[in-house]
Amino acid sequence: MFEYTVLAGIMYGLYFGLVGIGLNLIFGVMRMINLAHGDFIMLGAFLAYWLFHLFGINPLIAIAISCVVFLFLGIAFYYIFVPRLLQSKDPEMLSFILFFGLSQVIEAIIILSFGNNQRSVPSSTFGHSTFSILGNRFPISWLIVTIVAILVFIAVYWYFYHTKLGYATRAIMASRDESLVSGINVNRVSAFAFSIGLILASIAGIFSFFMIGAAYPSMGTNLTVISFAIIVLGALGNPMGTIIGGLIYGLAIMFMQTYLSSWSNLLPYLLLIAIMLFKPEGLIGKTVRSA
Amino acid sequence: MQRLLEISNLEAGYGLIKVLWGVNLAVKQNECVVLLGVNGAGKTTLLKTVVGLLKAWKGKVTFNSNDITHLRSDIRIANGIAYMSELAIFPNLTVEENLKLGGYFKSDKENKKRMEKLYQYFPDLKEYKHKMGGSLSGGQRKMLGVAKTLMSNPKLVIMDEPSSGLSPKFVKRAIEVLDMFHKEEKVAMLIAEQNVSFLDFAEKTYILDGGKITFEGSVSELKSNNIIRETYFGITH
Repeated sequence: MFEYTVLAGIMYGLYFGLVGIGLNLIFGVMRMINLAHGDFIMLGAFLAYWLFHLFGINPLIAIAISCVVFLFLGIAFYYIFVPRLLQSKDPEMLSFILFFGLSQVIEAIIILSFGNNQRSVPSSTFGHSTFSILGNRFPISWLIVTIVAILVFIAVYWYFYHTKLGYATRAIMASRDESLVSGINVNRVSAFAFSIGLILASIAGIFSFFMIGAAYPSMGTNLTVISFAIIVLGALGNPMGTIIGGLIYGLAIMFMQTYLSSWSNLLPYLLLIAIMLFKPEGLIGKTVRSA
Repeated sequence: MQRLLEISNLEAGYGLIKVLWGVNLAVKQNECVVLLGVNGAGKTTLLKTVVGLLKAWKGKVTFNSNDITHLRSDIRIANGIAYMSELAIFPNLTVEENLKLGGYFKSDKENKKRMEKLYQYFPDLKEYKHKMGGSLSGGQRKMLGVAKTLMSNPKLVIMDEPSSGLSPKFVKRAIEVLDMFHKEEKVAMLIAEQNVSFLDFAEKTYILDGGKITFEGSVSELKSNNIIRETYFGITH
């Protein structure tokens, strides 16, 4: 049982890393918490649901479609909202209100358009087979989600550390002003980073059916809280740190569900309180030399 | 010589507080100008307004005969201005990545060539090229800032207190390198400083006090001014 819990926790952890990484990217670049993050995960799930049920499109192919859809959605959202926010006296505070409002609007539009029912893509989409690690059997869909999550992390790492746009994104994370005077078109790079954040959320949404169950319009709020706990656990503003946060959350939730299942819903809140009390900069957060 | 940068009657500030009160300043092609001023004189505000980090309330900034007063910062930089702030570098990027961002508009090939040239003048940076900027000492960070600023082959380098937090040894080295690039590549420079060591290679000086230019002239004229001698050089007779 212990071995199974650890292995399942790692797979869930990698998935939850995927759930949180987009939120951390957006926070790192814009210093704003996207309170609608969970709703973009929900939109990704609904996109995958409709693509599967209307056109029979496999969730793996839905990733490519969601990349295109959320790229444009992200750019549009960024240019409509963010430059105005940044001109205000307190953009961080206003962003809370704005993204909370956006979250409510997205949820309301989905309920009005499609109703409040739960929707699902069957796990048999990837076949009925299972796979085995150290004698423990898991559904094949978990393996696929784990592989996709790892590939996404590699892609995000490659973007950050091996592309000019990635250097620029990290530069903006350090200092918006310094980036401006280095000749970086901060708005353009931020809009792209915001879109990547939404794309990552949508990919997490596509696989939500296989890891957290059916999709429904109000699932976003809970996912935003979980994502926030994960990114604070890892390191707020450091997207790669989200993987650590996700793994800890995944392992913790698996152990809670195995040994203390009735308390597992409290986990994100308990982790948030614990990390704020004992290591507010996150588990891998660190300060740089000041002299 | 043609004026490269011209600041006319510039007013700017923060919120409701006006910091610059009609500043006039010019930098000619291939000229090195040092802007002296004590803390709070408005030096950083002036430089930030020139590079577009602060909005000009009034007045005009022209660069290469083009009005840049309302241009975005990144466009001003692309036009040939390089700016070194007091922060100077990105602490979360490696030395090499910082340099690549210094040449953001250049091709990889051009950047590589330029980097090799700069490494000759800053051998420490080559040694630490894979280290994070934030892990460097204060002096090394400033040297990286200078190198990053020179990466883009700019027409005009604007520096905000390059000597702050540096030991005299590093200040001397910074001056030598800047002087060399100024002469060899004919880069015009506008350096805001409190440290009078930078006057050694200045061709023109301004003094900013209380957001107004209170002196404009050559280094010899500045040094012969009794009040300035007392304020900046500590010479009382």
